[in-house]
Amino acid sequence: MKVCFFVWLFVFSIAKADDQPVKIEKAWLQAVPQVASATAAYMTIRNVSPLHLTLVKGTSEIASMVEPMITTVQKHQGHETMGMSTVKGLDIPAGGIVELKPGGDHLMLMGLLKHPKEGDRVKLNLVFEPGNREVSLFVDVLKQEPQ
Amino acid sequence: MTYAVKAARGFGTSRLRSFIVAGALLLALGASFVFSRYTAYQQVQQKFYGQALVPDSQAYDFKLVDQEGHSFRLDQLRGKLVLFSFGFTHCPNVCPTTLSDLGKVYRSLPERERAKVQVVFISVDPQRDKPELLKNYVPYFDKSFIGLTGSPEQIAQTAKAYGAYYEKVHTPGEDPDVYFMDHSAFIYLISPDSRWKLIYNFDQLHQTQKMVGDIERILG
Repeated sequence: MKVCFFVWLFVFSIAKADDQPVKIEKAWLQAVPQVASATAAYMTIRNVSPLHLTLVKGTSEIASMVEPMITTVQKHQGHETMGMSTVKGLDIPAGGIVELKPGGDHLMLMGLLKHPKEGDRVKLNLVFEPGNREVSLFVDVLKQEPQ
Repeated sequence: MTYAVKAARGFGTSRLRSFIVAGALLLALGASFVFSRYTAYQQVQQKFYGQALVPDSQAYDFKLVDQEGHSFRLDQLRGKLVLFSFGFTHCPNVCPTTLSDLGKVYRSLPERERAKVQVVFISVDPQRDKPELLKNYVPYFDKSFIGLTGSPEQIAQTAKAYGAYYEKVHTPGEDPDVYFMDHSAFIYLISPDSRWKLIYNFDQLHQTQKMVGDIERILG
């Protein structure tokens, strides 16, 4: 009986780890005006797999392009300039965390096909390498970062 | 010979002494000037959450175009406290964050103060941000907010006057119409008597109550 339980636990934990290489928390999408062409999704991604993961891209029904972006800070004539740039992927070491937050690294949704209204729930699919593994989640559309 | 050397030495020493005294005096004067400026700065700065400009300066009276397509000058807002930032509507991250934070600050003000505050968003992307687009974008964050655009020259002049910087960045291998704008992300506070008083980094806007405190202090 006991052995059975441990076998079950073992199988279950493998299956679970296999299902979700990451644990995603505090996910939300910035609500933007109807005319906006782009917005961003924010979340905390915890890598619960034993592998080094890279978030390479995303997909969503509401945008033609979903890409991880990093925020860059450059100095121009002594002034800090915020910019962003596309990256091949966002690295998350095994057991590590990546925080996507307003003003920082983020998941950009460009070419909005459907307007994300405040109060909507939007499905996002994130793709991680290695293994081209897809993780789906629903994010709330909010006007303001939750406290 | 000995005498001459002595004389020279004597002369040298007294001259050196007066140099030292003069130098020390200058240094003390300079130090007290710097110190007085510093304490003046400290006195102003400790009153505010934002970065204070000491002394404050006359706010540059920009001439731009509002979201209705009419020409718009900063001077039209004399009598109101103005908070403005630079950005562009195709911006996914920094600009919506800035505007939604400013919306929260604005709505946290008591009604009496709110009537004396105007938030303005100045586009650094006149190629895409036409008045019509701004009209449908900026008031989303609060219906009182005003979006401004203008000719590339008008915008460049305004940005220069406030030490703002922006640059078009093309994403490699993409459509030439697909580009981002790198830009400095500051928020400028102009007092009702058109003095440029404070500057904020965009991530300071998160602290709603501290922002409200600065606004209330300036409106007195």
